[in-house]
Amino acid sequence: MIGIISYIVFFTTVASILAIAVLGLNLQWGNTGLFNGGVVAFFGAGAYGTLLLGGKPQPDHIAGFELFYPIALVGGMAVAGILAWVVGILTLRMRHDYLAISTFGVAVAFENLMRNAEWLGGGAKGLRGFERPFRDSLGDGFLYNLIFLVVVLLCLLATYRFLETLVSSPFGRLLRAIREDENAARSLGKSPAKIRLTAFVSGSVIMGLAGGLYGTFYAFVSPQDILPTLTFQIWAMLIVGGAGNNKGAVLGAFLIWAAWTFSGWALSRFAPVEAQLYAGSIQYILIGLVIVTMLLWRPQGLLPERLVVSQSGLR
Amino acid sequence: MKKESGRFTLKLGAAICLTLFASNSISYACTTKVGAVLPTSVDWGRPIAETAQFVVEQVNESGGVLGCNVEMILRDTQVDPKVGVDAAKALVDLDGVQLLLGAVSSGVSMPILTSVSVPSNVMQMSCCSSSTAFSKLAEEGQTKGLWYRTFATTGVQAAVGAKVAKDRGFKTVAILYKNDDWGQDLNRLITRDFTALGVKVTSAVAINDGQPSYKAEVANALSGNPDVLYLGLYPNEGTAAVREWLSIGGTQNMIMANSLKSEDFRENVGLKYLGNAFGTDTASPRVASADAFVELYKGHFGKEPSGPGLANSYDATMIALLAMEAAGKGATGDQIAAQVNRVTDAGGTPITADAAGFKAARTILAGGGNVMYQGATGNVRFDKNGDVSAPAVVWKFTEGGTKEIEYLSLTEVDEFIASMN
Amino acid sequence: MIQHLLDGILVGSILSLGAAGLTMVMHILKFANFSHAELLSIGAYVALVFDKIFKVTMPLMANEIGSLSMTWALILSIIVSMVFTGASAVVFDRLIFRRIRAKGEELSMVFASFGLALIVRNLIGLIFGLSTKLYSKDIVFATVLSRDPLLVVKLDQLAAFSITLVLMVVIHIVLSRTTFGYSLRAVGENPELAQVNGINLEKTIISVWIIGGGLAAVAGVFYGLTNQINPMIGRDLVLPVFAATIVGGIGSVYGALLGGVIVGLASNLALSILPSGYSPSVPFIIILAVLLFRPNGLFGEARA
Repeated sequence: MIGIISYIVFFTTVASILAIAVLGLNLQWGNTGLFNGGVVAFFGAGAYGTLLLGGKPQPDHIAGFELFYPIALVGGMAVAGILAWVVGILTLRMRHDYLAISTFGVAVAFENLMRNAEWLGGGAKGLRGFERPFRDSLGDGFLYNLIFLVVVLLCLLATYRFLETLVSSPFGRLLRAIREDENAARSLGKSPAKIRLTAFVSGSVIMGLAGGLYGTFYAFVSPQDILPTLTFQIWAMLIVGGAGNNKGAVLGAFLIWAAWTFSGWALSRFAPVEAQLYAGSIQYILIGLVIVTMLLWRPQGLLPERLVVSQSGLR
Repeated sequence: MKKESGRFTLKLGAAICLTLFASNSISYACTTKVGAVLPTSVDWGRPIAETAQFVVEQVNESGGVLGCNVEMILRDTQVDPKVGVDAAKALVDLDGVQLLLGAVSSGVSMPILTSVSVPSNVMQMSCCSSSTAFSKLAEEGQTKGLWYRTFATTGVQAAVGAKVAKDRGFKTVAILYKNDDWGQDLNRLITRDFTALGVKVTSAVAINDGQPSYKAEVANALSGNPDVLYLGLYPNEGTAAVREWLSIGGTQNMIMANSLKSEDFRENVGLKYLGNAFGTDTASPRVASADAFVELYKGHFGKEPSGPGLANSYDATMIALLAMEAAGKGATGDQIAAQVNRVTDAGGTPITADAAGFKAARTILAGGGNVMYQGATGNVRFDKNGDVSAPAVVWKFTEGGTKEIEYLSLTEVDEFIASMN
Repeated sequence: MIQHLLDGILVGSILSLGAAGLTMVMHILKFANFSHAELLSIGAYVALVFDKIFKVTMPLMANEIGSLSMTWALILSIIVSMVFTGASAVVFDRLIFRRIRAKGEELSMVFASFGLALIVRNLIGLIFGLSTKLYSKDIVFATVLSRDPLLVVKLDQLAAFSITLVLMVVIHIVLSRTTFGYSLRAVGENPELAQVNGINLEKTIISVWIIGGGLAAVAGVFYGLTNQINPMIGRDLVLPVFAATIVGGIGSVYGALLGGVIVGLASNLALSILPSGYSPSVPFIIILAVLLFRPNGLFGEARA
């Protein structure tokens, strides 16, 4: 019984961390219509940033400034934000496919940098030497995971509240206005490029938060954590859950991650041994089909965007 | 005191189980679950898992662990750390396993170790993770003695590779290495070893997976006109790089790491160009059990055990199960891990790596004795960090597979490595 | 250095073929098609199958042409593969992209192409396995042009390059001399106006897919011929092909042709400065450089 609870705590932690990243993507794609093909770069920047700033000094690379944990986490988010700002300022004034391609490229380049630059992120063997905060007093076991889950859930809730407030604010209306008709927005004297940049950077900072929490949870990050697979997974979560709807984003994260892990569990129980060699390929084909099918038959996702008619005068 | 009496009951129980089920290995009083987290959906990961399963079958045939039928629950990691850690966590929490076999990639094994095995006090035995980061973690005391791996550290492979170059009289070498944790480690070690032996490294070039072309990389390696090319690559990119190398006139003198011991590589490059290509590998020792492994494997799978990590996977599983047998019923992960030295004790009674060996070990362990496991990768012995050293061979490709041309015993390997420092 | 230049041009010309198709699709349908590189993969595998079939059914065809490792069977397979790959591109459009276009969700097409790429890549892996395949296992030794400095070239690559050049000339004639070329440009500029003027939009789109698929097939085969074939071709080439497209400027076929060569050259030359571990980043660095200095590419027009 305790085992089941322990696993549920663990599963919920990972799903919640992914949900935060999906919320970040929802701000970019769902609300602003920005295609981020390199979610994993900003996620990774958060993870590496946090572990570098909060970790212990290591002999073979620059890691380890032993900063107070919350500062390290915010630092990780800032790293993600800066990366997004650089990419955004170069691409956001162009047609939208430039952003898609550049973000895809930045993810490849980020992984490549971390794989090679041993002095920076430990190289291909990954970044160690991070002590999880309060590990001394809480130990490593179930209690720690439970408290960490509470922290992650608080982060998720805070992100959710922040985005909900943002979406119903005038700024949120502006985002949707730009997504729907950029020229109209411009003619009203708004600056689409600046607003899109703000949304892009904010979304990436949220992904950085998710990455920071992820790195903290495993106390380790390596280039294998930031392969393009994660970008696909996070996108699938948003598309299935419902782009433009924050509840949908969270729902999608839990659903897809549950399906992903459950299918592995079910395969190990029920599938013939021969089939397991193909399990990986089949799983990717299935997720590809889910994405395409959703786009074709229910592009609004499970929980569609509620169109907010601005009517502040009536409230 | 309580522990002592428990131990006695266990021994008694084991003895009873033995007498009851010795004649009939099909029925068991109980089932013991062990977890395996391996990349079964990757072409080279699959045979590693099959080998582990094969060991479990043999152990069950011999009467199981402590009279219990061993059930290995196999989960796919997809080489994705998130997926691997989740699978490991589910195995520990939901199935209550005290032993995890895996993973293969260091980037997956490491988070499993730090966030599942160590916190949950579960023993983790990997066949194939090569990163030096594990040794460092163990030195810092963070593995709590729960971590073992049967993959001989890259040091052996590098030392023997350098020795081949020196013995064959090569003066200069270019290195092509896979740009991952294994390749980066290998490159660092072999560059040091070549230099120590007076072989000049003209260039060391990282080869990334899936590049549109390896022309520039290969041309860089060729520019120093080396006597010999060292290849720390896997078959996929190895094929592309070597074909490119040969076609622009690179030397056919090559030294290969064991990862290229692959039929695909031999076929796609062509045996006629590999006449002067020497491979290195960690080796089976000259004992009956090693031949027995090859025979057993051929009998079961109908082919030579030539893929990467198969012998390592065999030994990892066997040693872990022996340790479970030694630890007694209801043992926790740390108690199992503590028994590993009892089953790989150089002073213990030698046992073979098969069902009969396991059976013999059971009696000896039950009587309080120690055993020396003679496995597919040698008389495996772990150091305090859970790392192994191993004997080595030099091999060449032949029409039907590979043949050994030189054998270095564990002592020779150790002496040779020591002679370079 | 000269060797790097030569290699860069030869590798780059393969990217050019991929980018030429992509730039047309991106121009007319206005989305970044992440599944375009999978067409190269399809092309390479289809040719692999037909090459085997032709060699068995028509043993004469299995003879190598001159001192190339190319056979007549392979040449014939390329043509079959062009048709097949062009047709698959049209099928993908019918099944997926056209439906999403019809819903007016243009932005969703980018992600649909992500999903499609995933499906195609893994289907190929399921059918053909994950290991390396080759058209011919013989190693063609390079012809040494000069010993010092070492300058070598493979005849296969020269042949591939020549065929690429021929194809480029054909595209040029089609684009500048035929009604199709004009309607292509018209649709790219303003689809509504083009339709008013009697240009069949659907037909133009289909032609673009067929041409793009055909060129991608040739690129895929040449890639397989000079490097190797595995199911990850699409994943590995998507960024370099995008880089070539952006360098040339979206919508410019000539730009794409030049862009491929520039990306090929830069990737080769970069390794004289950067450690080779960084080579996967090179296409991205090129994209960044273009965005900084010439945001619409070499031949692209500014557009809102």
